Amino acid sequence: MISFPKYLDRSQTPVVRLVGLGNAGVNLADRITMAGVPGLETVAINSDQQSLSSSVSPVKVSLGPLTTRGLGAGGDPEIGLDAAKESLSEIEEALAGSDILFLCAGLGGGTASGAGGMVAEAAKQTGALLIAIVTTPFGFEGRRRTSQAAAAVQEIGAHADAVIHFENDRMAELAAPKSGVAETFAACDELLCGCISAVAHLISARGPLGVGLPDLLSVLNAGNGGCLFGTGASAGDNRAHEALERALKSPLLDRGRLLDEAASVLVHLSGPPSLSFAEVGAIMQEIARQASEGSMLHLGVSTSQDKNAPVVVTILAKAGAAAPAAAPAVRPRPSPAVERPPKPRPVPVEPEPERSVSPDPSPSHEAAEAPEPEPLPEPAPVRQVPPPRPAAQQPPPKPHPATKPASPKIKQETLQFEPVARGRFEKIEPTIVEGEDLDVPTFLRLNVKKP
Amino acid sequence: MARDDIHVGLEIGTTKVCAVVAECREDGEIRLLGVGETPSRGVRKGEIVDFENASNCVREALSDAEEKSDVEIKSVWLAVTGSHIHSFNNRGSAAIPEESGEITEEEIQEVEYKAKEISLPKENAILHSIIQHYYVDGQEGVLNPVGMLGSRLEADFHIIHGVTNRIQNSIRCVKECHIEVEDVVVSSLASAQVVLGQHQKESGALVIDIGGGVTDYIVYLDGAVRQSGVLAVGGDHITNDISIGLRIPITRAEKLKIEEGSADLGKSLPGEKIVLKNDTGFSGKEVEREMLNMIIHARLEELFGLLRKRFAGEVPERLLGSGVMLTGGCSMIRGIRGIAESVFDMPVHLTRAQAVSGPTSAFENPQFSTCIGLAKYAQAVRSEMPEPSFLGNIFGKVFKKFRSS
Repeated sequence: MISFPKYLDRSQTPVVRLVGLGNAGVNLADRITMAGVPGLETVAINSDQQSLSSSVSPVKVSLGPLTTRGLGAGGDPEIGLDAAKESLSEIEEALAGSDILFLCAGLGGGTASGAGGMVAEAAKQTGALLIAIVTTPFGFEGRRRTSQAAAAVQEIGAHADAVIHFENDRMAELAAPKSGVAETFAACDELLCGCISAVAHLISARGPLGVGLPDLLSVLNAGNGGCLFGTGASAGDNRAHEALERALKSPLLDRGRLLDEAASVLVHLSGPPSLSFAEVGAIMQEIARQASEGSMLHLGVSTSQDKNAPVVVTILAKAGAAAPAAAPAVRPRPSPAVERPPKPRPVPVEPEPERSVSPDPSPSHEAAEAPEPEPLPEPAPVRQVPPPRPAAQQPPPKPHPATKPASPKIKQETLQFEPVARGRFEKIEPTIVEGEDLDVPTFLRLNVKKP
Repeated sequence: MARDDIHVGLEIGTTKVCAVVAECREDGEIRLLGVGETPSRGVRKGEIVDFENASNCVREALSDAEEKSDVEIKSVWLAVTGSHIHSFNNRGSAAIPEESGEITEEEIQEVEYKAKEISLPKENAILHSIIQHYYVDGQEGVLNPVGMLGSRLEADFHIIHGVTNRIQNSIRCVKECHIEVEDVVVSSLASAQVVLGQHQKESGALVIDIGGGVTDYIVYLDGAVRQSGVLAVGGDHITNDISIGLRIPITRAEKLKIEEGSADLGKSLPGEKIVLKNDTGFSGKEVEREMLNMIIHARLEELFGLLRKRFAGEVPERLLGSGVMLTGGCSMIRGIRGIAESVFDMPVHLTRAQAVSGPTSAFENPQFSTCIGLAKYAQAVRSEMPEPSFLGNIFGKVFKKFRSS
C-alpha cells in the first residue's frame, strides 16, 4: 500500500506547532506567540521552572521536575537528558497530533543540548514533519559549548527531517557593532521568527508556481553547513528590486555571495495580484546570477488577494557541500489518541519580516543561559562531568570562508582579490601616507561599496 | 630677438617626456616654437628607475622638439618631482648695522642665508628658497625692504628641498645627451607660472597638477608661495586601480580610462555596460560603467581628501580667493571638477597655460603646463624683473653645485 503521510494531505489545514526547547527556545516561542504568526501553536519545554512560568506559550512542559527540581540543567547536557527521560510522556502528550513541528532550540547549554535528541525523537514519533531550527553559540562562549552544540546538532539531525542551523556569530552581524545586547538578540530573534513564519507560509501557500515540502526538504538536505536565509518585503515602486535587496541584505547570505556555495536554493515570492511576470523574472535572474551555475533553483510564487500586500522575497539555502542523502525516512505512526480541542486554524498569511517585535529585555540565546542557578546537590542523579564529546562527532569545519568578515562586502564579484594588490607598483617604492599604502587601489582599502 | 631669449623646458614625466621650445618676449608673452614629446619609459612616480631608457626618451623628445621648432637645443630647464621633495616655511633674521640703519641687498642675502640654516637630512639639498614676506622691526607685509630704515630685518622663506642624488639622476639623464641643464625647477612651481596670473597669486590660489605618476601642488597666498609638495599618486594609480578592479590589462585600462572613464557617480544607466572589443592579447570583455566610475571616483576623492588635509592646518581656505586650479594630464578626466569642488568646497577651475601663443594644441593641453611653465620661469629668472616679490630671490645658489657636477 502506498502510504500517504498526512502532512502531504492539503485537503485540511495542517496542525503546525512550534516547540521551544530550553531557555532560548522558550524565548523564541514567546516572541513568535506575541508576534502572532497565525496558525502556529507554541509549546514551551524547559527544565527551568522560572522561564516556563513567565512564558506566554499556551502549552508548557516542565522537564524533569524531580531531576532538576525545576532549577534548570545548569549547562550540563547529562542533566538535560535525564530530565527529558523523566518527562518523556508529558512531551509526547504535548506534541501528539501535530502535522508539522518546528523544534526551536539554542544549543550549547544543558537543556536543549541534552534533551534535544530525545525531544526530536519523540516529535518524530508523532508522525509529523519535523523541522529543527537551532542556533549554535557565539564563538566567545567557549569551545565546550561549541562542542556540546555540535553534538546536539548531530543528535537532532538524526531524527529531524531538516535542520535549519543558524550560527549566532553570523547573526550578530544583523545589529550594528555598538548596538545594545538586547537589541542584538532581538535582531537575531526577529530573523529566526521571520524564518519560521516564512517556512510555515511557504509550506501552506498555494499559487501558480508552488514550492512544497519536497522542495524544502531537498534544499535543506543539500548541504551540511549553516542555513542561508534572507527575507525582504517591499511595496514601493521598485518593489521587486527592493524586496530582493532586503532579502540579500541578510548577513546569513552575505549580500548573496554565499548563495554561490549552495547546491540548491529555494526562492519563494509572494505578492499582490499585480505581481507581474516580469518582476518575477527580474528577481529570479538576479538570484541566478548570485548562485553558482550548477545549483538547483526551486521557485515558488504565490499571490494573495490583498491588493496592498507587499512583495515578499524569501531565500532559503544550505551552505556547504551536498550531504549524503541522509533524510530520515518519514515514519508515519498513528498518532496517540490525545484529545485536541478542535479549533479553527486560519491559513498562515504573509510572513512579515519587518514586523516590529518589541525588544525582549531578556536575551534569548545561549548567552542568557549562563547565569542559570546551579542545581542543588542531591542524591538522585549521579552528577558527573560529561566527557568531552569525541571529535569525530563534530561537524566538519565550516566550509564557507565568509563566516567571519563582519564588515559589509562589496557585492560585485569582480571585486574579490588577494588582500594586497599593488599591480604595476609591485616592485617600486611604495607611497605611504598616513600609514596607508596609496598604491593599493582606494576602493579596496576603503572597501567602497558599489553605489 | 636675441637667441638668448629662447628657453627650453624639459620634463621627464611618468607618462611622457616632453620638451617645449619657447620664445620669451619682453612683455612677458611666451610664444611656443615647438613641442617635442615621446612616451616615457623607465620613469615611475616621476622618478627615473631605468636610466638608459629614460635617457633615450629624453634624446628622442629633444630631437623631436628641435625638428619642430627648428632651434638647436643646447641647454634646458629641467622640471623635477618625486615623493622625496618636501617643503617648509622658515624665518630668518638679521640685524642692520646701526651706523647706516638702511637695509641693503647685503642684509637681504644675509636673511636668506639665515633662513636656510636649518637641519636637513644629510642627503637632502635645498632646491628653492622663495621669499614670502619681510618684516622690518616687526612691521608685517613688507614686500621690498631695500632702502628702508630699520634695526632688524626678518623674512619668511618657503624652502623646498629634495634628495640630492635623485635630482642628480635627472640631471645626468639629460647630460647623457650632451645637453646642459640651466637649472632644476620643482614641477609645481613651474606649473604655477603659467596657470596663475599675478592677481590670482595675490588673491590666493591652490594649483594641483595631477600628472601620470605624481600630483604636485602649490599654494599661493598674498602673492607668495605658502605651501608646496608632491604626493606620489597620479593617473597611473587610476589606471592600476581599473586594471585590478575590472581585471583587464594595464594598457587596456589606460585606454578605457581615457575613452570612457568618468568620476561622476550615478550618471550612468543602471547596469550600463561598456563592451571592450577584443584586441591583440585581450579577448574582449564587458565592464560595468558604474563600476569603472566608482573606481575612479574613489581614487580621486581620496587624493583630494589627502591634499585637503595637508592644507588644513596651514592655509585658511577662506583666504584662497581664486580657488583651486586643476591642471596636468589627469585633469582631463570627466567629472573631476565635481569631486574637487565637493572635497575642497571651493570653486575649481580646469586650467592650462595662460598668456601663451603658438600651436594651440600645445598650450591648450593641460599636460604641457609644467613644461611651458619652465620656459616662463626661465624668463622670469633671467630678466629678474617682473615678479620681484619672490622670483628675484628664487635662485638658490645650490644649483651651481648641480650644474658643476
